[in-house]
Amino acid sequence: MAEHITCQEVVELVTDYLERELAPEEASLFEQHLNFCDGCIVYVEQIRATAATVGRVREEDVPPETRDKLMTAFREWKRS
Amino acid sequence: MIAYKFLRSDGSSVFSSFAWPLPADGPGAWVEAPVDPCRSGIHACRVGDLPYWAGRVLYEVELDGEIVAQTDKLTAARGRLVRRIRAWDEQRDAYTRMCADRAHELIAAAPPEFAHWDTVVEPSIPEGPALLGFVAARIAEEIEGTPAAYRAERERQTKWLAERLGLLS
Repeated sequence: MAEHITCQEVVELVTDYLERELAPEEASLFEQHLNFCDGCIVYVEQIRATAATVGRVREEDVPPETRDKLMTAFREWKRS
Repeated sequence: MIAYKFLRSDGSSVFSSFAWPLPADGPGAWVEAPVDPCRSGIHACRVGDLPYWAGRVLYEVELDGEIVAQTDKLTAARGRLVRRIRAWDEQRDAYTRMCADRAHELIAAAPPEFAHWDTVVEPSIPEGPALLGFVAARIAEEIEGTPAAYRAERERQTKWLAERLGLLS
């Protein structure tokens, strides 16, 4: 068992943390890190807010042009 | 059982933002929640857990009912705040300084390739005791090359806190 996690690991684990999917010991290390790292607190809150906002958008709410741009960006990102 | 809990200055929980009933003439009201570590329940520290969760204000908390122990905390079904530990208000900055001084001491005794770690110590002080405790423990771990050094440094911090705050470990 690790003694601590890094900022990079916070980035990798944030979705599981917010969805309460982390094992208790992992969640503890995650929260220990948040207890001293202001940058990661901001990051986690940004992801939480983004998920809450985007989670309210229905597919039909997105204009076709925006949808195409997003899909293109996503495909480019997957290729990189 | 008696344990300890760090809260924000306004008496709310650091992670859930729950507004705790604070002690006034006597203990605060009991709070109950199903036990599910890191998700639900009354989370609290043994003395040895305190360095990992150092925060703004510290309370003594009485736990009752089912209590689950993890390596770095307790989770209970019921809890109430018994008293604020005022000694922490007086010792918080001294603890931060102690951790900073310890980090400098470890670096000074280490081979020169660790000297660059010294530059992170003083700029970290405004971030408070939790970060400085971590920094000192990480530096010990890095120099010794083993997680045991990290744990040993945390135990050293625990001893300091127990003595200065008058806590039973």
